Amino acid sequence: MNPGGPIPPPKKSRVLDPSTFGFELAKIVEEPAVLSDLAIREGFLRFQAGEGASRCVACKGARMLCGKTRCPIILRVSSFFQVVPKISSDTLAGSTPPGVFVGRIGYPHVYVGPLTPPILGDTTLLDLPELWIGRKIEEIVAFRSMLVRGKTRAKVSDVGIGGRLLEAITELALASKPVDLELTFDRPPRGSMLLDDEVQPFGPSAIVKKMKVGNAHWDRSVQKVYADTDLKASEAVLTLYKEGVLVTKIQRAFSIGAFGLKPQRRLVPTRWSITAVDSIISNALMAKVRELPIINEYRLYEYDHLDNRFEILMIPSSWSYESIEAWYPKTIWNPGGKEIVYFGDYEDYGGRSSYASMGGCYYAARLAVTEHLVGEGRQASVLILREIHPGYILPVGVWNVRESVRSALRNQPLKFNSLEEALGRIAERLEIRLETWKRVSRMLRLFLHQRRMGDFLEKI
Amino acid sequence: MFRFRLSSARAWRNVVTAISALVDEAVFNIDPEVLRVRAMDPSHVAMVDLEWRKEAFDEYACDKPLSLGININDMLKLLRRVGEDEVLDLYLDEAAAKLFLKFSGKYIRTFSMATLDITGEEIPALKVTFNTKARLTTKCLLQTVEDAATISDNIRFEATQEKLTMGAQGDMGTFSVDLDRSSEALLDLQVKEPSKATFSLNFLSQIVKAAAPSSDIVTIEFSTNIPIKLSFEIPQGRLEYVVAPYIE
Repeated sequence: MNPGGPIPPPKKSRVLDPSTFGFELAKIVEEPAVLSDLAIREGFLRFQAGEGASRCVACKGARMLCGKTRCPIILRVSSFFQVVPKISSDTLAGSTPPGVFVGRIGYPHVYVGPLTPPILGDTTLLDLPELWIGRKIEEIVAFRSMLVRGKTRAKVSDVGIGGRLLEAITELALASKPVDLELTFDRPPRGSMLLDDEVQPFGPSAIVKKMKVGNAHWDRSVQKVYADTDLKASEAVLTLYKEGVLVTKIQRAFSIGAFGLKPQRRLVPTRWSITAVDSIISNALMAKVRELPIINEYRLYEYDHLDNRFEILMIPSSWSYESIEAWYPKTIWNPGGKEIVYFGDYEDYGGRSSYASMGGCYYAARLAVTEHLVGEGRQASVLILREIHPGYILPVGVWNVRESVRSALRNQPLKFNSLEEALGRIAERLEIRLETWKRVSRMLRLFLHQRRMGDFLEKI
Repeated sequence: MFRFRLSSARAWRNVVTAISALVDEAVFNIDPEVLRVRAMDPSHVAMVDLEWRKEAFDEYACDKPLSLGININDMLKLLRRVGEDEVLDLYLDEAAAKLFLKFSGKYIRTFSMATLDITGEEIPALKVTFNTKARLTTKCLLQTVEDAATISDNIRFEATQEKLTMGAQGDMGTFSVDLDRSSEALLDLQVKEPSKATFSLNFLSQIVKAAAPSSDIVTIEFSTNIPIKLSFEIPQGRLEYVVAPYIE
């Protein structure tokens, strides 16, 4: 019945203790955070839940659905980190991991600049989410908060013509190893943590007046596509991915405008560049997946990370994909809600042409899933169910989803002979009832209710 | 050797469009009498069965049976370039594994495309009996599936001696259309037993949209909880689809 061996008992969920942050979670989540008269766009919310709460899940601090200029949830959470960075000087010497950040406010006039900690040495870890899996949320926040964001104003089309500072920022962004920097700011860096659902957090910021850059070593492959001004941006991304360059590094180069036909090179806000790269790579991988033989059994991959519980179901069928996240009350984007808020997107064999309503996580997970299928040389329909429990108190970026799904898929799957058996296991592992998942998941509805032609044809 | 001529290149575009509803790649089985495509969509929920006899073409020549793998999406891209009143000459260069499409209008344009080295799967015959048969205008069916799609992912077909009902139900509300024997859109209705079945609009809308340019009249056949068959009437040929049911 279960070729994968005996079914292990369901793991207990690990809830992080919020007091380790030096503040009480209750302060953040006490009141319904966002309530205003701004109308939600039709079709924006697929599943209705508590008033206010579902809007925050749809927005995740990015779309300003409540009509306020800054997200009240982000503000409240980040205010607790005011004390974290202690930088009193207007100069900073440190090794950038390397890291850069391109803002999106004011687009097409944006702030761009390096992320640098007040540490000299091997700081690689600080801007490489591929290495963060298994670390605690506190630890990630602690080392990210050391990153000072230096910034300078640039027009997104300034790539290649923006002057020496922008050129220097580009060069360090493409470096393969940490680069020593000496930065002079207009004033001591100020501000709290930046927290964002898509972008990993970082610390205070200031305008860069002067920057001295140490030696930067480049990956040969990155250098090559940077120099190739006849190569389209998407082809550059795929070339580097095939050569084994980490997604984070590709995304960093993408945001700094290092790819594409010469006249089309642009700075891309970090937030957008993450999803762009995830989408470009996974679209190319999907095209391969569609050609591959279909798996022979139902599979379930399980994983827990930062109080996120993942169940990844692979169904022996042609490619289709669905990702659903369930935000518990008292999680970051559902602070005042009384009910779990569901958010999900689905695409069939042909793929999708509209932006997924749940945002960057959809594409990050799709990359991890297609990468696995191509690696194994198999095709399947893939459903990701993600329960976000109250221990997930801070948004840390979509890398969490990409790397969690990758980690999940590195494990041996549980194997089942029928969809019912696989769903039985999901019912044991997840808190939300199976009936609810069946109602919410378009893919489950399809596989449970849609008959196939094979049932109605003569046997050969 | 295989070649044909159509005085209206648009007609060929309609054929390829009709196939594109379900597959990106297809195998054309061609013999001296007939050109045939029988294919299932990748998820095996629906199938298409298309047949064009040689009489449907202005000229048609094939000396021995052959299978031709064609990238439907790519061919459709070429055919979108077709103008009004252009004549199409299509011919196969077997040695080079290439198809040539020559459009003749005010001047002559030639496209070539590679054929695919794929083999089609053998699809057995359907083993179901239909209790309801209804003949209606394609226009009516097209509007119905599009109306239903605004409400739901599925559409329900229901037939009694008196009428054919199609409807949908969703979070937003409900939709239904009743066609009784006096309706202009319903040309014929034969009901052996009252029938009721539901189908995914994902497939049905794509099919009806893709077949509409080829045909004004469609016959639908169904029974309770078995597949639905849609036969679009075309001259000197056959354009049929079968879609497996959605069990509620």
